[in-house]
Amino acid sequence: MPDTYSIIIALSVMTVESGTMLLFPVIGEIFTERSGILNLGIEGMMIIGALAGFAAAYTTDKVYLAFFIGMLAGGLASLIHAFITITLRGNQVVSGLSLTIFGLGVTNFYGQRFVNLQLSHTVPEVIIPGLSRIPFFGPVFFKQDYIVYMSYILVIITWFILFKTKAGIHLRAVGQNAKAADAMGINVYKVRYFLTFFGGLMAGAGGAYLTLNCAPFWLDSITAGRGWIAIALVIFAMWNPIYALIGAYLFGGINALQFQLQSMGTTIPSSLLNMQPYLLTFILIIVATLLVKTKHIGVPKELGIPYAREEK
Amino acid sequence: MLRFEKREKISVQLRILIPVISILLGMLVGGVAVMFSHINPFKVYKALFIGAFGSSYVFSETIVVAIPLILISVGLVLVFKMNFWNIGAYGQYIIGAIFGTYFALNSPETMSRPALLTIMCIAGIVGGALWALIPAALKAYWEVNEVITTLLLNYIALYILKFLMYGPWRNPRSFGFPLTKTFDLNAQLPKLISHTRIHLGLIFGIIAAIIIWIIIEKTRFGYEIRVIGENKNAARYAGINIGKKVMIAMLISGGLAGLAGLSQVSGVIHMLQIQINPDYGYTAIIVSWLSGLNSLVALIISVFLGGLSAGASQIQITMKVPIGIVGLIESSILFFLLGGAIITNYKLYYKGRKII
Repeated sequence: MPDTYSIIIALSVMTVESGTMLLFPVIGEIFTERSGILNLGIEGMMIIGALAGFAAAYTTDKVYLAFFIGMLAGGLASLIHAFITITLRGNQVVSGLSLTIFGLGVTNFYGQRFVNLQLSHTVPEVIIPGLSRIPFFGPVFFKQDYIVYMSYILVIITWFILFKTKAGIHLRAVGQNAKAADAMGINVYKVRYFLTFFGGLMAGAGGAYLTLNCAPFWLDSITAGRGWIAIALVIFAMWNPIYALIGAYLFGGINALQFQLQSMGTTIPSSLLNMQPYLLTFILIIVATLLVKTKHIGVPKELGIPYAREEK
Repeated sequence: MLRFEKREKISVQLRILIPVISILLGMLVGGVAVMFSHINPFKVYKALFIGAFGSSYVFSETIVVAIPLILISVGLVLVFKMNFWNIGAYGQYIIGAIFGTYFALNSPETMSRPALLTIMCIAGIVGGALWALIPAALKAYWEVNEVITTLLLNYIALYILKFLMYGPWRNPRSFGFPLTKTFDLNAQLPKLISHTRIHLGLIFGIIAAIIIWIIIEKTRFGYEIRVIGENKNAARYAGINIGKKVMIAMLISGGLAGLAGLSQVSGVIHMLQIQINPDYGYTAIIVSWLSGLNSLVALIISVFLGGLSAGASQIQITMKVPIGIVGLIESSILFFLLGGAIITNYKLYYKGRKII
């Protein structure tokens, strides 16, 4: 019987892993929404990334290459949404939903030959010398893999860009008041295209990390609604990458906990345990909405509104 | 390069032409996808068509799929009209089925068939309506984003169903399978046509489609819904209580989804189990959008997409074409339709020359 400390460590390691899978899409969607584009297609882009990543890893045996292929696949999928909502000013809600249906359909269609196959190895662990020796934090945060480390850097860089640079002011302006941003000389369309694409890349990354590390096999609908949880976490994070980290790990923690309880043979029915992440997110989204409402922070004012530039 | 100019009048021809072209282009995408899998697309579409409409029996199966699509989609038309995004028909369908099943399993045997079925239908409607009221009230009072809440409630509903089926509601004589006992004949919706599985739900669906059309076109409530959908601020100035209208519309939409779930369980499957096809809740979103938010048109689109589903389950068996082809075609149709909407609303200029 393992002691309590090692159980807690194992739980925390899993928390970070399953949190990372969500952290990428949440950060991506934060930027997409900050520019005024709502992309509800995360679930679809994630699963496309998950299949592309898995297929690449399975055929080439190169996990990092596979990770980038998964990322790129998510990015490409996002361009459909970008074209329809930015260029053609189509309905963002329905287009995003459609992207999710597309992703689930296309991966079911092309994923058949991979069903039930397993990867021979997952993303390798890379121990960071020195830091990994810190009690508790070391084994939890610094005995992970390059992709997890990349996510730490991503949080810091994206936070810095968003709040401390001119580019950040510009992109926020596009989501707050596209007309004013345009008058300032910012190319609204370009910014929105780029950030929708970035959102797609990140959703693809999250999906790829799922099949390359958290669940290294292929099953139909393997993302199981995580894309929707990511969208909820964007609101919880109040469109801020630092809070996104907290939200993603909180969710990862619940996920790890219910997993651990099940493997320890609890008498609580698995259906009720599996429900917890969704229930928690449901409660979180209500609390977060009330908080955002009282403080008026974060929400891009023109989220979901297409921009039609007036011709001179 | 590309320039748009708003049309003063939206032509009827374009309104019909764009969905038709979208459907054709969507099927073209499906065909290309099939070709990448080294399957002859013409053979696939031929088999799909025969599997959906080829004989009176397969057509009856298409109608069986169309029934829940009709019930759900006409309710969605109502809420989508006011730009309220109910993505939760999936969950409302499940809860409706659960509520109705409770009475199917727990009513005295002496109860007459019409009485029991009436109670079950009401229970199904109430279940779906209550489940829909949660996100509606959260939106009305606290402005909680309904896309996310309705979606999360879908997963929660699914796990409630799983909990019941693996736990208290499992029939002890089902050899461990997560099934209830088969409903008594009294708890089964009557068939409309013998030797088919078409059941009374079809009548419910047609009535619902007509009532929704009347509500939207002929009543004050329908007028208010249209105002809310077109301009929220104008609605507010006009003194319309948006939150209240959202809740009423969601009670109707959720109730119809619940009735769809109950009808499926009582009219087709005759028991509660884990696989009760709640995915119709997502397909119905496509139906209502393709119908241009017109509940009468939704009747026809339901049969079309019902045929696509029924035909696809045939070719999955006979030609080994994965069922994902349905989602692929449906989403492609939607993409073209969404993109094509710009042509209905705007005149298009390319380098100064008018294209359309």
